[in-house]
Amino acid sequence: MGPPAKRGVLRSRRYGDGFVEALLFFAAITSILVMVLIFYFLTYESFLAFRDVGVFDMIFGQKWHPAGDIFGMMPIIVGSVLITFIALFINILVGIPLAIYLSELAGPWSREFLKPAIELLAGVPSIVYGFLGVLILVVYLEKSFDMLTGRSILAGSILLGIMFIPALTTICEDALRAVPKEFKEGSLALGATHWQTVRRVTLPAASSGIIAAVILNVGRVIGETMAALLVVGNVARIPSPIFDAFDRGAIFTSVIAGEMGEVAHGSMHYHALFAVGFVLLVIVTILNISADLIRAAIQKKFGGY
Amino acid sequence: MKKIKPVPLASIVVALFLLISSLYYLLIQSEEIPLVPFWMGGLLVCTVLISASALALNRNADDRTRVVWTRGRFLPLAADLVYFLAVFLLVFSGRIRPDLEFEFLGLSAVFTYDLVLPFLVLLASFLVIKDSINLLYGYSTRGREVLVFSMVRLSAVFTLLLLGGIISIILYKGIGAISWEFLTQPHFRLGQEGGISTCIEGSFWLVMGAMLISAPLGVGAAIYLNEYSKRTGLKRIVTIAVGCLNGVPSVVYGLFGLAFLVATFGISLLSGSIILGLMNLPTIILTSQEALKSVPNSLREGSVALGATKWQTVWKVVIPSALPGVLTGMIIGVARAAGETAPIMWTAVTFSATPVHMFYGVIPDVTQPVNNLCYHLLNLIYFLGAWDVETKAWGTALVLLALVLIINMVAILVRNHYRKKISW
Repeated sequence: MGPPAKRGVLRSRRYGDGFVEALLFFAAITSILVMVLIFYFLTYESFLAFRDVGVFDMIFGQKWHPAGDIFGMMPIIVGSVLITFIALFINILVGIPLAIYLSELAGPWSREFLKPAIELLAGVPSIVYGFLGVLILVVYLEKSFDMLTGRSILAGSILLGIMFIPALTTICEDALRAVPKEFKEGSLALGATHWQTVRRVTLPAASSGIIAAVILNVGRVIGETMAALLVVGNVARIPSPIFDAFDRGAIFTSVIAGEMGEVAHGSMHYHALFAVGFVLLVIVTILNISADLIRAAIQKKFGGY
Repeated sequence: MKKIKPVPLASIVVALFLLISSLYYLLIQSEEIPLVPFWMGGLLVCTVLISASALALNRNADDRTRVVWTRGRFLPLAADLVYFLAVFLLVFSGRIRPDLEFEFLGLSAVFTYDLVLPFLVLLASFLVIKDSINLLYGYSTRGREVLVFSMVRLSAVFTLLLLGGIISIILYKGIGAISWEFLTQPHFRLGQEGGISTCIEGSFWLVMGAMLISAPLGVGAAIYLNEYSKRTGLKRIVTIAVGCLNGVPSVVYGLFGLAFLVATFGISLLSGSIILGLMNLPTIILTSQEALKSVPNSLREGSVALGATKWQTVWKVVIPSALPGVLTGMIIGVARAAGETAPIMWTAVTFSATPVHMFYGVIPDVTQPVNNLCYHLLNLIYFLGAWDVETKAWGTALVLLALVLIINMVAILVRNHYRKKISW
């Protein structure tokens, strides 16, 4: 924070300053305003659907069948949960070791090389991932598992899991780096090996940051649109058996993006899609706020690392 | 210890052969695998080598007092050996034959020979490497460390391969489509012919419009939060709102734009720019805040001590010092805006958009829809099965990827350049 304003400056300057401050204040509250507007418009547009179908039937309904005006979100929720779990598994399997490598093992040269590579990977547009997913991953899965179509929950999970490795790694690396050096040095001085130190000292000390990163990534996986839209198959039906990841499925975003293009403005289907978006927004916002709270709690507890 | 070293090393070499060859066959999914006898031989050799070095380790340890084979060490090793023999016997007895097909648990996938066998061998090779390294270091903590850290290094290799793979395959397949005509002509016949000039134009103006909105708002918000705000309560709320906005899925921005802007402005460049700008806001606020935070307080204090007002201090001292960081954030924002599809799908783009109409040759007509690289690629993907657009799609993907990666690279270079130059 800057120092307190000095008294006795010229009056005109002070008015100028006041004007600028008001402008900046407006810029600062824009994000609150946008957040409120997003919530308002999604609630407003989905209200009709929730009222006509009923909140409970809408969320726990077993069937999503827009042609027959049946809107139950359970197939979408099951698909999303399946995709999130498998994608997170892949994500964590590569992302956290990579963060450990960057923060603990990498020499200056390999760091200099790997850091920009990860940033570039994070910048690859999701539609490009989707394109490669359709032409390579889906074809490969189709061939190797003899599936009717390779577009499946599994394909979506693999693609999303790989896509968000950089996001997870970046935050986890920051968390690992923030662990005070004294902790590690103390452990090494006691005769622990490097890996024992990482496992028993660094990882536990950074665990809350890592958990926050994972929660944020859950939000990202659920909210990713283009890549998922192209490879999950977009068939909103509960897979049987329920853990059948090789079946086609649908998730929140793929349903919205896949069906919004062809619905009549103001129809029931249109409002139902907004309702799906509203549920998605609520889930993601809860995830984001909890990640934020976790981080804030940690800062309070440990004083800034 | 020293005497038995060559034995586990030999089994690691054999296992590496198994690993690479089985991975190869797992990836290409060929119907015939000529290497099967070698794999079986390799598995047997590994079983023998590991048992031998385990026995030798046991004998070497006899003269010391500590027990080498605790239950936690012996059981996994025994299980691995049983697994190797089981794979060998399954193939040898003809249970796993080229006509193998089975389904299980009701999954809608069929597991065939060309998938199952390489997978089993791949798993076996991993287990061999694990046991061999453990034996090599006599089950010490050092061995565990080597094991874990080699896995960790593998993740780094995987990431580099992933980036290299994405770039090289798109470059390889897309470079054939790139020509001067492809870049300077609009597409026709549903994208089968012509180029992507309208898309490049549309992407450019959308990104420009987005930056025009998000840059002043984002940097202003960051300055207010960092330099002006004294009420911590407000700051906390804004921080939470920015965090939430950052996480709002892009498709929700699309819905928001559809409900909020399309009713007023129609499907137009303006609606798309506003939505993309709002979406970019959190990125720019967060990066600018980082940059402002890194400016030391002594600079501000020096300026105020010279009689400057708050705004003069911010404008003449703080912003110039934070400029590289702010600039980096903006460039990353440009790259993000250029690569987003979902927010503009229903608000700004149509596949058949005409070239952007310009007033006085410089100001674009913001009320008309445009085409965009991402949206064009999406449509080409939808057309893939029906029309011959694959080459054009690879070309579009190449242009898009190159654009986004080059912008990102510029951001990285700017940051690194100034990081070396400025030291407080």
